[in-house]
Amino acid sequence: MHLKQLRPYLYVVPAFIFLFFFTYYPAGFAMVRSLFHWNTSNIQPAFAGLHNYQQLLQSRRFWQVVTNTVIYSLSFILVSTAIALFLAVQINKVKRLGSFYKSVFFYPTMIPMAAAAMIWMFMYLPDYGLINAYLRRLGLESVNWLNDRHIALFSVTMVGIWKYTGYYMLLFLAGLTNVPEELMDAAKIEGANGRQRLFKISLPLISSHLFFILIIAIINALEAVDQIYIMTQGGPSNSTNLIVYFIYQNGFRFWDMGTASALTSLLIVTLLLVVSVLFTTLGKKVYYEV
Amino acid sequence: MKSDRSVVAAYVVLTPLALLMLVPLLFMFTTSVKALGDILSLDFRWIPRRFAWENFQRVVEVMPFARYLYNTASIVVMTFLVQSVTISLAAYAFARLRFPGRDLLFFLFLVQLMIPATSVIIPNYQTIRTLGLLNTRMAVGIVYFASAYGTFLMRQAFRAIPRDLEDTARIDGCNGPRVIRHVLLPLTKPSLIAFAFVSGTFHWNNFFWPLLVTDTVRARTLTVGLAMLTQATESTPEITITMAAAVMITAPLFILFLVFQKPFIQSFAGAGALKG
Repeated sequence: MHLKQLRPYLYVVPAFIFLFFFTYYPAGFAMVRSLFHWNTSNIQPAFAGLHNYQQLLQSRRFWQVVTNTVIYSLSFILVSTAIALFLAVQINKVKRLGSFYKSVFFYPTMIPMAAAAMIWMFMYLPDYGLINAYLRRLGLESVNWLNDRHIALFSVTMVGIWKYTGYYMLLFLAGLTNVPEELMDAAKIEGANGRQRLFKISLPLISSHLFFILIIAIINALEAVDQIYIMTQGGPSNSTNLIVYFIYQNGFRFWDMGTASALTSLLIVTLLLVVSVLFTTLGKKVYYEV
Repeated sequence: MKSDRSVVAAYVVLTPLALLMLVPLLFMFTTSVKALGDILSLDFRWIPRRFAWENFQRVVEVMPFARYLYNTASIVVMTFLVQSVTISLAAYAFARLRFPGRDLLFFLFLVQLMIPATSVIIPNYQTIRTLGLLNTRMAVGIVYFASAYGTFLMRQAFRAIPRDLEDTARIDGCNGPRVIRHVLLPLTKPSLIAFAFVSGTFHWNNFFWPLLVTDTVRARTLTVGLAMLTQATESTPEITITMAAAVMITAPLFILFLVFQKPFIQSFAGAGALKG
């Protein structure tokens, strides 16, 4: 091969080195290490076959984490994208104050999740918190937002929804502003009502945006961990433990790298599987401009 | 033409929701300037009885704020600078050059969007330890040095530039990297700036990875310092100090956002994915 033919690859090499060492290699490394016992009693990794996976599948804690993660993800994705779409449609209507509303709904994206989690943690305080103070004013019972194991998962989900909805709204707006106004006016003249115009015209036209927002929301849901670390540490009684926090617990609290690697592999496979299933099913039906 | 009724309805719906959205922000501000007496009261007050500005003074006393600020800023700048080199080179190859395996390589880049750094913290931690980089600022930034999102963004931008311009430069004796630097990048500045906003925000706010790979003042970032603050001082009165610290770490980015609202928002709107 001539040197000249190698030149294009040289441009890709710098990025590819980092891509390889910090995305592909770790994904492979986790899959290999998931087949080893590697913990406080096995300081040198010892081959274990699928034992780490078997142990996980038999552990109640693991299934609770899976359940928590599914509940968190589904409610986060559905609620945040639904509200985001609603807000985008409304903001798209107004002439004045449009950019004001945009900024107000978007600003949580600028706040670090670590700080947002602190803010919400203090708003959730049982006695001195803001939310219970207002509940009491309304004559309602105080709620133990973060210490009641039936409610805590809901409470941390709220933080995620508050943090990400504005960003998804912005992505929806980017699509909606491209929908030609003449098309809407024509539909209106033909007698289509607001709901029909949304579902029959706007949504199909922005289906590629909808599709990508969905994928981003899935990734954001599955990687959620900051607010868990700060607000609940996975408790009470494991009720807010999500997959990434569980990986962290196994790796850095119990020093069980074999189990942590098995969980990492499961997470990566889940992410790739969900996204590729979406691409092959919904992705084909999506409307692309250009 | 839009019917007046539905526009009015939009305002009626949006205004209360906007106010609700602002509650956590206002809560942070008001709590940051409250005195203990105001906090330990069952009745919540929005306006403090006394403005306890000394809370900000206390933050600087209990945490090495200047050092954390320096660490965070240098990580943000370093990461963006390295990224801008790696992404423009790769984007140029994907936008302009033909070579076997190009589409496969591009696909491999895009898969990175599906495997966020947060999902591979365990193996990356091992790598960082093997490299002897634990507790350095380099450890925080290095895992983000290649950005699939940035590569994608710059590839789109380069493709929109007519080839003639490059050809002229080439006749004048410019080679590939110089064409990128002197012809393409100046013309695609808006895209690079958009990427700077997205990348900068992500790394200023990043928390979990820096938390794992740093364990002293030497490399910790502002967000990690904030989390350390509550662990050091877990009693209720320290709420005010924590919120004052939250205001301080949020302020630089927030002020930037208030000044550059339009470009900021446009950068994120152009973002197919928020992966610094």
